[in-house]
Amino acid sequence: MEDLLGYLHVVVLPQVIDALIIGVALALVALGLTLIFGLLDVINLAHGDLYMLGGYAAFMLVGWGAGYWSALVLVPILVGAVGWALEELGIRPLLPRADRAIVTLLLTFGVSLVLRDIAQVVWGTETHAVAPAFTGIVSFAEVFVPTYRLFVFGIALIAIFATWWLVYRTRLGAVLRATAVDPSMVASFGIPIRWVYGLTFIYGCGLAGLAGVLLSPIYAVFPTMGHDFLVMAFAVVIVGGMGSIIGAVVAALLLAQVQGLASLWIPPVWAETLVYGVMLLVLVARPGGLFNRLGEA
Amino acid sequence: MLQPSIPPVEPRPSLNTAAKLNVGDRLLRALYPPRANAWQLRWLGFAMLVLAAIFPWLGGPFYTRLAIESFLFGATALSVDILLGYAGLLSLGQAAYFGLAAYISALMYLHVTQSFWLVLVAVVTAVAVFSLVLGAVAIRAKGVYFALITFGAAEILSKIAHNTRAIGGSDGLIGIPVPRITLLPGVTIDLQNNFVFYYAVLGVLVLIYIGTRRILDSGFGAVLRAIRDNSDRVPYLGYNSFWYKLLAYIMAAQVAAVGGLIYPLLRGFVAPHLFGFEVSTKAVVMSLVGGVGTLLGPLAGSVIVTFLESAVGSYTERHLLVLGVIFIVFVMFLPDGLIGLARRLSASRGKAAP
Repeated sequence: MEDLLGYLHVVVLPQVIDALIIGVALALVALGLTLIFGLLDVINLAHGDLYMLGGYAAFMLVGWGAGYWSALVLVPILVGAVGWALEELGIRPLLPRADRAIVTLLLTFGVSLVLRDIAQVVWGTETHAVAPAFTGIVSFAEVFVPTYRLFVFGIALIAIFATWWLVYRTRLGAVLRATAVDPSMVASFGIPIRWVYGLTFIYGCGLAGLAGVLLSPIYAVFPTMGHDFLVMAFAVVIVGGMGSIIGAVVAALLLAQVQGLASLWIPPVWAETLVYGVMLLVLVARPGGLFNRLGEA
Repeated sequence: MLQPSIPPVEPRPSLNTAAKLNVGDRLLRALYPPRANAWQLRWLGFAMLVLAAIFPWLGGPFYTRLAIESFLFGATALSVDILLGYAGLLSLGQAAYFGLAAYISALMYLHVTQSFWLVLVAVVTAVAVFSLVLGAVAIRAKGVYFALITFGAAEILSKIAHNTRAIGGSDGLIGIPVPRITLLPGVTIDLQNNFVFYYAVLGVLVLIYIGTRRILDSGFGAVLRAIRDNSDRVPYLGYNSFWYKLLAYIMAAQVAAVGGLIYPLLRGFVAPHLFGFEVSTKAVVMSLVGGVGTLLGPLAGSVIVTFLESAVGSYTERHLLVLGVIFIVFVMFLPDGLIGLARRLSASRGKAAP
């Protein structure tokens, strides 16, 4: 009994805490994906690469001596601007097409390849480290957590709650949800739909940028970081239900725990495979994911 | 008088044969008549075949082997078109079957047998089982989920191959022997000879193309196209769209596996990237470039993209950038590919000079 408690305390608990922090960061990326899909039916395969751009932007800004804090504010705006350009130039012209779900997916896939290769040209294939805003370790009950990870957890949590509040408690959010259900009805009230689309894209991509800044000191920055993260983020969005905000958060926390705990006992690759297995199981039981889509809640 | 002023329907010759079909098939035949410009495609196919037949005498051994590679990727591109052009399913993970077939065949040549036919049986079986399970889940999940699930499955397989030492890890497997294939007793195919290899693969590809074309021009293909165009209506005609899609998926998986089956014999090695998104992506780009829904387009597209990549590769290492830009240009401006462009050009010329 003592041994088991000790094992849980020393081995399992730190892993749970670590997975919790990864989970909220994952939720940030998944939130952007799910918002954009819920509103526009667009699957943004370049989302992981926007996260990657966020990481590189943080690396550059910190390298130029702008300091971590200004990076934390500026990077989401920069990445949001890139996302806006993508929406304005690439996705909007394709929206009237009948097969828009497939063509936008293909388009963002192409954009993703281009962004990744550009990152390789500009910054090289090597890994770049970003210095965390602060070092140090917090301990409670003899469990040690780096202060920076706690900070990431806090900021991500704030961003998640802010998103929830925006979507479900503000007038803007009401417009957003209404547009997800019936765009032409919303347009007939004189609300400029293209701005709703544009803002959502900026916001969703900004969240990916924020995740990029937050995680860059933990995982470092490299060209395929977004690609590696994307499969996981999609597993999250599929399990949670495409277009569901609550679903994305719940599934992110859940899957991060599955992966974190499983990698205690099995090799990390198989832990990732297990996550994918969980996703397939959820799909067998509930083909639409665990939660309902935006606007149908 | 309430006589409706509808012009009399001209009797169509095909109706006589259609009378033998059941009601659902007749309705589908009426809704989706065989393509009007099928003869154009036939001429294009014929021209491509002639070009392919004389190619080894024009290019040297390097280009002959590059052409073989383009045929192998062409099969994968064809599999994308079966799904996207006929069933309306976008698979971003056809590399899963390319890679699976490549690894199974490599492992069997290295450790089990030198018999091509045994390897073929093993690959067909493994691919059938894997595609049945994955397809059942992915198709039930519908729409865009399908693309993500297939994408994820290929990624996971690639990661497993990358991290499993027993099958070579990130280095892959090298030194795969080239077997002699006994076609009939006394007739063997010697793949050491580039010409023999080239014509063998070309023959296989032509057989696959004709087989696929025949299957998809049948009632089965008509139902698939109906599902693609209006998946809500098809169940009312008495068709279970799930099984049709699943069959199409399994068929596409086998077609994609053909490329993987032969690849190790061409290059002598397999590596985790064969599972990766780059192979899946290339397959989709190839069918986009040629023209989705034509079956011939993806084959032309694979030759174009492979040779383009090789040409670009001598100037720059930026494969992904090139692929990505082709992707964006074709999605935004040429959604029906080069065949579609040719059709539009010939149609507009026909209008200008009647």
